[in-house]
Amino acid sequence: MIDLFSGQLLIAALVLAAIYGLVALGLNLIYGTMRLLNVAHGEILMLGGYLAYWTFTLTGVGPVWSMFLALALAGAFGAAVYRTLCRRVLRSSRLIEQIEANSLLLLFGVSIILQNAVALSFTATARAYPYLDDIVRIGTFQVTADRLVVLGIGLALSLAAILFFRLSATGLQIRALIQQPDAALLVGVDVERMRLIAFSLGFAIAGVAGCLISMLEQVSPFMGFPFTIAAFVVIILGGLGNLAGGLAGALVLAAIEVYGVALTTASMRSILIYGVFIAVLVWRPQGLFGGRSLVR
Amino acid sequence: MIGRHFRFAGLLGVAVAAFALVPRLGGDYAIGVALNLLMWIALTQSWVVLSAMTGYVSLGHAVFFGAGAYVMVLCFGSLPFWLSVIVAGAATGALALAVGYPCLRVRGPYFVILTFGLAELVKFVVINIEAGLGQFGRLLFGGPGLAQIFYVVLVLAALSVAVTWFVRRSRFGRGLRAIRENEEAAETLGIDVARFKVLAFALSAIVPGMVGAAMVLRTTYFEPLDLFNPITSFTIVSIAIIGGGDDVPGPIYGAFFLVLMQELLWANWPEVYMILLGGLLVAFVLGVPDGIHGRVAAWRRSRR
Repeated sequence: MIDLFSGQLLIAALVLAAIYGLVALGLNLIYGTMRLLNVAHGEILMLGGYLAYWTFTLTGVGPVWSMFLALALAGAFGAAVYRTLCRRVLRSSRLIEQIEANSLLLLFGVSIILQNAVALSFTATARAYPYLDDIVRIGTFQVTADRLVVLGIGLALSLAAILFFRLSATGLQIRALIQQPDAALLVGVDVERMRLIAFSLGFAIAGVAGCLISMLEQVSPFMGFPFTIAAFVVIILGGLGNLAGGLAGALVLAAIEVYGVALTTASMRSILIYGVFIAVLVWRPQGLFGGRSLVR
Repeated sequence: MIGRHFRFAGLLGVAVAAFALVPRLGGDYAIGVALNLLMWIALTQSWVVLSAMTGYVSLGHAVFFGAGAYVMVLCFGSLPFWLSVIVAGAATGALALAVGYPCLRVRGPYFVILTFGLAELVKFVVINIEAGLGQFGRLLFGGPGLAQIFYVVLVLAALSVAVTWFVRRSRFGRGLRAIRENEEAAETLGIDVARFKVLAFALSAIVPGMVGAAMVLRTTYFEPLDLFNPITSFTIVSIAIIGGGDDVPGPIYGAFFLVLMQELLWANWPEVYMILLGGLLVAFVLGVPDGIHGRVAAWRRSRR
């Protein structure tokens, strides 16, 4: 019998929640500001993971530092994708539903290109590197140091994001755009600029999340999609466009995954994630905490 | 009006007769290429009935292909080949009816990712069932030969082409296209939106199930990861977007184009092939939203 109240499982759930929260934050930001579902989100994360892997393997510089490089590069890449691809879709299509379907296919194409470009360059072999894997004892339970670092950075970044969206002028404008797009335009929010910033910021956060994940898991070209799906579950649970609700959603999903696997077997993990995903979309698309519904 | 149907039936008959000659004239390689082409035409035509007509884009059509293959695997040895194919089609149609109602309430991009998630869920469930049964990949010996599989898939391709043609020109098809343009308005006009969508979903699931059942015997090996491969779904969508439109010609143009690319690249440079396919999808969504079919139609209009 497994001890469900062990600190080990609790730490595992918290670390996973920190990662999911971060991945979902970026996705939610892009969805909230321009109604684009970024299915290539997991691939940006994968690129961040590869960046951390190669920086560590070639120069010995750890992911705690290459994280900043990932932030800058992923942000720049996000701005480029927005300028070249997404802005054209947002402008050209007539109906909001058409924008959503078209941009989804577009970003799906981008994700296939990225996956296979990485597989072509670095082969499809999964890679990992040893970093901060010594064991730390806190009270009665043990945990590897890298997990604590991931948890710490994840929480710090989430906190920073919440403060940014509550206090800074840019953050407030982005939130205004999420909540009332037309009213935001009327009171003088520079919609085009805010969309660019939100898109770039969303990609940057995904890049950082990839660096963090590479400390705990192997990186491979096809690692991204499960994270995209997990992030969708999280933002639907927490409410689309609701940035703080996403953190609560991340905790719920991480707890379901960690305790669900502990109660059954590891092979149930994918079934659990996809099962929760479908159940949430079909039965509770308005999220756990209310908010806008996707179903008529 | 009736004349158009006769002309279509004549053209379809000629095409089927021409393809039927392939196993007599060509070797295994030619049969393989033609089989591949027919498979993609059949799969994409059935996708068009749901996704191009109603605008509910499915990114999980591989689920029906894989489920049909699994039915064939379970029936293998106890039922004759042709009967298993029909059972597989009935099973995937029933599966679509069962999941259709809750799934089709979800709209737009959420429907797209929902179908993808559903296909992945069914894949992992099948993997777990197989692991529970102590099976890790199954060998299927003593099945029908390549030519026999070819004739079955030829019939299925012709069937799916005919279904798209007649649905497109029926009252039912007009209803589906009204749903695509404006679901609320369609409902106000008296279209039973929920029933139309679920029927289209079931109709678009039957042929892929039968194709999957036939194609699994070609490799004589059943591996859930291959048969529920998301690349199958992705390829169907790419063919449909590249071909363009909500009628019979689009998937045929798209499938010819794709099979040509596959023959040139897949064996030696699979990643390059996938990158190109992704690039083409991006280029067609942005630059040629009406696809090859739309361009050809515009060109023919301009010559008149």
